[in-house]
Amino acid sequence: MVTVALDINPEHAKPWIALAEPTHPSLIDTTHITDELFGFINVPMAVWIDENGMLVRPAEAASIERSPLRDQEVPTGLPPRIEKMYREVKSIPDDSEGYRSAILDWARHGAASKYAMSPEEVVAASQPVSSNQARAAACFALGEHLHRTVGHDAAVPWWREAHALYPENWTYKRQAWTLVTTPEGATENDLMQGPNEVYSGNWLDDVIAAGGGGSYSVRPQLE
Amino acid sequence: MIISGTQLSVPEFLAATGWEAKPEGLCRGELCVPAPGALTNGVVDVTVAAKKLGMPLVHDASHNVWALGVATTTGRALASAKAFFPSSLIDAMGRAFDFNSLRGRRIIMVAWASW
Repeated sequence: MVTVALDINPEHAKPWIALAEPTHPSLIDTTHITDELFGFINVPMAVWIDENGMLVRPAEAASIERSPLRDQEVPTGLPPRIEKMYREVKSIPDDSEGYRSAILDWARHGAASKYAMSPEEVVAASQPVSSNQARAAACFALGEHLHRTVGHDAAVPWWREAHALYPENWTYKRQAWTLVTTPEGATENDLMQGPNEVYSGNWLDDVIAAGGGGSYSVRPQLE
Repeated sequence: MIISGTQLSVPEFLAATGWEAKPEGLCRGELCVPAPGALTNGVVDVTVAAKKLGMPLVHDASHNVWALGVATTTGRALASAKAFFPSSLIDAMGRAFDFNSLRGRRIIMVAWASW
């Protein structure tokens, strides 16, 4: 197991890593290069790589435990926007049981596991990528580079373009949104990522525009 | 992926993109994409290589920075099943991680984020 935090500011990931006390390599990807190399477009997602360095499963949603949130009733009296977010989160597909079983099967059987794909299958099963989506990766990279070397304002036009070119890529959007919606000096990121004056999108409205929570993740194809 | 210019050495191009420029073409694992004109005297012409791989090449003129997008040769997020491990990932102490330390082992690489 190797975990990779997609965080352009490593200080945001470090407290979570410290709390987890991991025994596996727990890495931080400050440039989102693994988005490009492996096809991550949201979190959590995972790829499987065999002993020979070959991918045997493409990037797909990688939950292994059902969130208690899914079985809770939406509390009454919530502010309307929070209530809508709650309902969308609850509607995100849950494939955790099947995905966990598939991992265990691969751990036991390796290449003989029915879940391990051939090289041709794994390429074909990875997400489609258009020229616009490919360009979005370059735009996001330019934004990250300029955020780090020049300042946030220099990044914004490139991140706006990345969002417009590849709206299905939530890592590009959520990473950028949280930088402008988290109050100065806050110890934790703002996960609500609501409407803001910098970007046209925000979490709730973009999820609804994309078809709702049911369309939010790349579901593992395990059959 | 950020690149320092449009003329790169073979190791620089490999480190940036995961594609190795060889006389037979631009290669990752068993896959080689013919790319005449991309490699001359050990120098990769990124404008040619990018076109052959279907990688958008984007320039920020104000800051003179170049970036390459994802290869579109297969029309999928993965051009090849051969994993390319970047050298830029760090651990919580800021130390670079060498994926060679995991050679011969099965890996589940899980992406998460604090946001």
